[in-house]
Amino acid sequence: MTRIDWLAIAPEVVVAAALLVVLAVDLFLPRERKYWVAALAVVGTTLAMVPVILMAVSGDNYSMFGGSYVVDDFALVLKGVFLVAGYLVLLISVSYIESDRYYQGEYYLLLLSSLLGSMVLTSARDLVVLFVALELTTGPLFLLAGWRKGDLRSNEASLKFFIIGVLSTGLMLYGMSLLFGLTGELSFEGIREAISTGGMASEPVLGLAVLLILVGFGFKVSAVPFHFWAPDTYQGSPPPVTAYLSVSSKLAGFVAMLAVIYLALPAATDFWGPALWLMAAVSMTVANLSALRQSHLIRLLAYSSVAQAGFMLVPFAGGAIAENGLSEGLGATVIYLVIYAVMNLGAFAVVIAGGRRIGSYEIADWRGLGSYSPRLGVMLAVFFLSLAGLPPLAGWFAKFVMFRAVLISTGPAGVWLAVIAAVNAVVAFYYYARVVKSAWFDQAPDEIPEDTETGPTGPLSLAMGIALVVVLVVGVFPGLATFFGDAAAALVP
Amino acid sequence: MDLLESWALSLIVFLPLVGALVALAIPKEREEAVKQWTLLVSVVTLILAVVVAARFDFGAAAGFQFEVDVPWISAIGANYHIGIDGISLPLLVLSALVVVLCVIYSWQHWDEPRNPRAFLILMMILATGMNGTFVALDLVLFFIFFELVLLPMYFMIGIWGDRTMRKIPGFRKEVETRLYAAIKFFIFTLFGSAFMLLGFLALYFKSGSGGQQSTFDIPELIARGHLFEGTFAWLVFGAMFLGFAVKVPMWPFHTWLPDAHTAAPTVGSVLLAAILLKLGSYAFIRIAIPILPDTARDWAPAIAVLAVIGIIYGSLACLAQTDVKRLIAFSSVGHMGFVMLGIATLTEVGINAAIIGMVAHGLITGLLFFLAGSIHHRYHTREMSRLGGNLKLMPVMGGILGFTAMASLGLPGLAGFWGEFMALLGSYQPLPGLSTSFFRTAMVIGAIGTVLTAGYMLWMLQKVNLGEPSSEWAGKEFQDVDRYEMAAWAPLIVLIVAVGVYPRLVLGATTDAVVGLVETAFRAVGG
Amino acid sequence: MPVVTPGWYMTLAAVLFVLGMTGVLIRRNALVMFMCVELMLNAVNLTFVAAGRAAGVLDGQVAVFFVLVVAAAEVVVGLAIIVAIFRRRETASVDELAALRG
Repeated sequence: MTRIDWLAIAPEVVVAAALLVVLAVDLFLPRERKYWVAALAVVGTTLAMVPVILMAVSGDNYSMFGGSYVVDDFALVLKGVFLVAGYLVLLISVSYIESDRYYQGEYYLLLLSSLLGSMVLTSARDLVVLFVALELTTGPLFLLAGWRKGDLRSNEASLKFFIIGVLSTGLMLYGMSLLFGLTGELSFEGIREAISTGGMASEPVLGLAVLLILVGFGFKVSAVPFHFWAPDTYQGSPPPVTAYLSVSSKLAGFVAMLAVIYLALPAATDFWGPALWLMAAVSMTVANLSALRQSHLIRLLAYSSVAQAGFMLVPFAGGAIAENGLSEGLGATVIYLVIYAVMNLGAFAVVIAGGRRIGSYEIADWRGLGSYSPRLGVMLAVFFLSLAGLPPLAGWFAKFVMFRAVLISTGPAGVWLAVIAAVNAVVAFYYYARVVKSAWFDQAPDEIPEDTETGPTGPLSLAMGIALVVVLVVGVFPGLATFFGDAAAALVP
Repeated sequence: MDLLESWALSLIVFLPLVGALVALAIPKEREEAVKQWTLLVSVVTLILAVVVAARFDFGAAAGFQFEVDVPWISAIGANYHIGIDGISLPLLVLSALVVVLCVIYSWQHWDEPRNPRAFLILMMILATGMNGTFVALDLVLFFIFFELVLLPMYFMIGIWGDRTMRKIPGFRKEVETRLYAAIKFFIFTLFGSAFMLLGFLALYFKSGSGGQQSTFDIPELIARGHLFEGTFAWLVFGAMFLGFAVKVPMWPFHTWLPDAHTAAPTVGSVLLAAILLKLGSYAFIRIAIPILPDTARDWAPAIAVLAVIGIIYGSLACLAQTDVKRLIAFSSVGHMGFVMLGIATLTEVGINAAIIGMVAHGLITGLLFFLAGSIHHRYHTREMSRLGGNLKLMPVMGGILGFTAMASLGLPGLAGFWGEFMALLGSYQPLPGLSTSFFRTAMVIGAIGTVLTAGYMLWMLQKVNLGEPSSEWAGKEFQDVDRYEMAAWAPLIVLIVAVGVYPRLVLGATTDAVVGLVETAFRAVGG
Repeated sequence: MPVVTPGWYMTLAAVLFVLGMTGVLIRRNALVMFMCVELMLNAVNLTFVAAGRAAGVLDGQVAVFFVLVVAAAEVVVGLAIIVAIFRRRETASVDELAALRG
């Protein structure tokens, strides 16, 4: 009971140690040598990969703290994804943060805290650990969103994010407390058994609890109609933070949702199935239609991330409809998450690199990028078209497994959702293509923006390179991505 | 020579892609090196295709040869399964040939903003997509290749396309033709293929209902055709129909085609007309009809109606055009209508007609687009009212134009004749179970279409070739056909005559395969 | 004299929760909105305690401790943000913040 397996919590310990070292070292470093902090953060994240890989190779499962904290394949796979995403975000941040030269230490400290939270989250197997981990993930992000203190837009982004964040926490917690009241259990396993043995699958209170929890998660993953904070917050935050928000924080919301829905509430499909069906359909449609009107790249990516959240919700609904569709649905969502994480970070890396050169995020100002900077232009095309889901770029496989998970049930509900998703995939292509069009088809402006990068560009290029390779390789050999899905799908009881 | 058996097709598919990657490493300034390299790659690909054709066992054309079947995405049961039979062989060779000719033609003809390296790289990626589609025997693999052709074509149209401003109905501002055409091409095809993918997935899941492992394998799915029936099959056919019909394109999904053709650079139009359009009709023959034969019979009258409307509509639209290139584009709608009419009869004659029609259309319309491009290159206009007397200014080019137009209108003895003639013949006696009177009506209307085709082609010839040159060209020197053009066009001319005189060149390969296909699919009905 | 069952506490908690949520949705002062969120969280605490008592387990009380700690941390974050904004704008009304528009 009380034995703690240090290997099992080693990844978290390493990240926690890294963030403490960052905190301490930051105090003693002179201002011009603050970049050491970034290096430490990168090293810490890289080191944390080691125990994750060791455990993945050994294949053992660990259960601690009375089953509240479990390291299984699902947890390991997602810890790996969070670490890689965190690593990429750190690389993306370096040049941006370095050039502003203030609060560097705090920036990396907060980012690592959030990363720590999301890693704990993957292992959470009861409501309290889940709640604490989720708050640890989002709490630092409220501050990071307002990181540019002097900028009113950053303030506003931060406040909006904060109020929505705590409101959603309140709703989710109330749902959890009702769930606890109904079952008398906090652990997912206990809740699942209490529901099935007590025959509570159709209790109205259970329905209320499920809906409240879903609304809470809906805010976290920014699904329609709980998405309205996302475009404002994304636009106002520093772009590297936005990249983190749109990937890791969304991923965290989905991981929590996967755990709660598939581990604690598999019996309550009657409640969450239709709710998520609706949320998925509305998210895709509303977000895509809004994205069509955007002229600001980051707002466009914000709406795109809302639409992508809709696509990720589709397998949930599909799994709820089909018999034995749960593990298929879980696998599909995880594969989508993994691919989305890489391609979206790639897209943000390009947008940040281009934005620093061009000095604007208006799509019209990016015209002719391909003619004066073919490297960025090609990257832009690859990542945006991958987000659109075009073969042979990785995005196609994400869409493919999504369709597959929903078509497993041949009932009309599944088919209709598939049709809605198909139409939305086409609509989405239009706005991604608009960015590509601007970069490649339009004439470059008379004054070509000079490359005036002062900070280090290596890390940003490295991040783009890694994402590019992953997007191309996974696109051609999607079997690599199914590994994640299969490992994660073992979670379904 | 087992090595050849197992590697030839993969090489034909992926050699261009490897070539494109290598070309990426050649510095942009060394244009000649890039051109020579891509020419080498495409010629080697063509040679391989010819070798495959030479070693192809025509006695067993109904079965798949040069097959490779290895696991690819094992988690979803998708395999890297490729192979060719008599149906795909002519199209594969055509595709490899046209790419070579396009490389030769583009040696001296670059549309703004030039950049030969980027253009040739796109062309090589396109070649991989086209060749791959013709050999894929797995639905997922087919889908990937089918989609792979979109991106290069999108960039070709968008970057090197026509820059004249155009007023688009429904838009306030004028936009450049290329921008509108590129996105329209993409959205239309993507819309179709999204539904096609849903259809593929539905087939996959249903194929497991007999207690076997679900599969994406095309021959395997054909063998399990009995599992797909009723509303399910009807919906799946509908989904696939959307995907394929947009690509063909059939009326009323054709509206992207005239825009895309007109806006695309010459080589883009040629590839689009000669190969890309065939992907759709080929998919009908390869996938939709053999897997869902009974449903195909339900859909056949509808397809025939749309095909006939396409024939008549395409011809009439041609008569309203003032732009040579746009006229040729609309003529494609009509010709593909004949191909689809042939397919709709579901008979051996009809489907053979469709394949030879596809090959002939690839040769003839490809050549016509080359000519339109060269004419535009010389006169800097494609307005027929300003052209005229071409035969006097450039006798050789005028002669070739006359010859190709004759081939296009279906003159006996040239390639275009067989597709139209056999399609009409097929509709005289459609598959038993289909309404004979209905298809005979279609035949009559189709025959009227051939007359209209002759009409607009001759009208075009009269406008462009005959008469006196307009005064605005007086005193200007025009270079007649140059050697690159000649090198690119001569093989097409030779083949148009060869296929016209000796149709067994194509039918020899296809007949057995088509007979096999029709018999397997409709044995219960026909026998 | 009626016996006060856990159900009473649950009902009270529900009323508090609805009050809090209504407050967040209709009030426009960031500080007041913030207080309303606290009201919601305390409704959660009350439910946890009452439910734990009804089920005869301590889990509910344990959960409350975690909620309290996290809520306290969030207060710090929230006030920091509000102070940052107040320094620049001398206001805590969210309506004044409209630099970003969708």
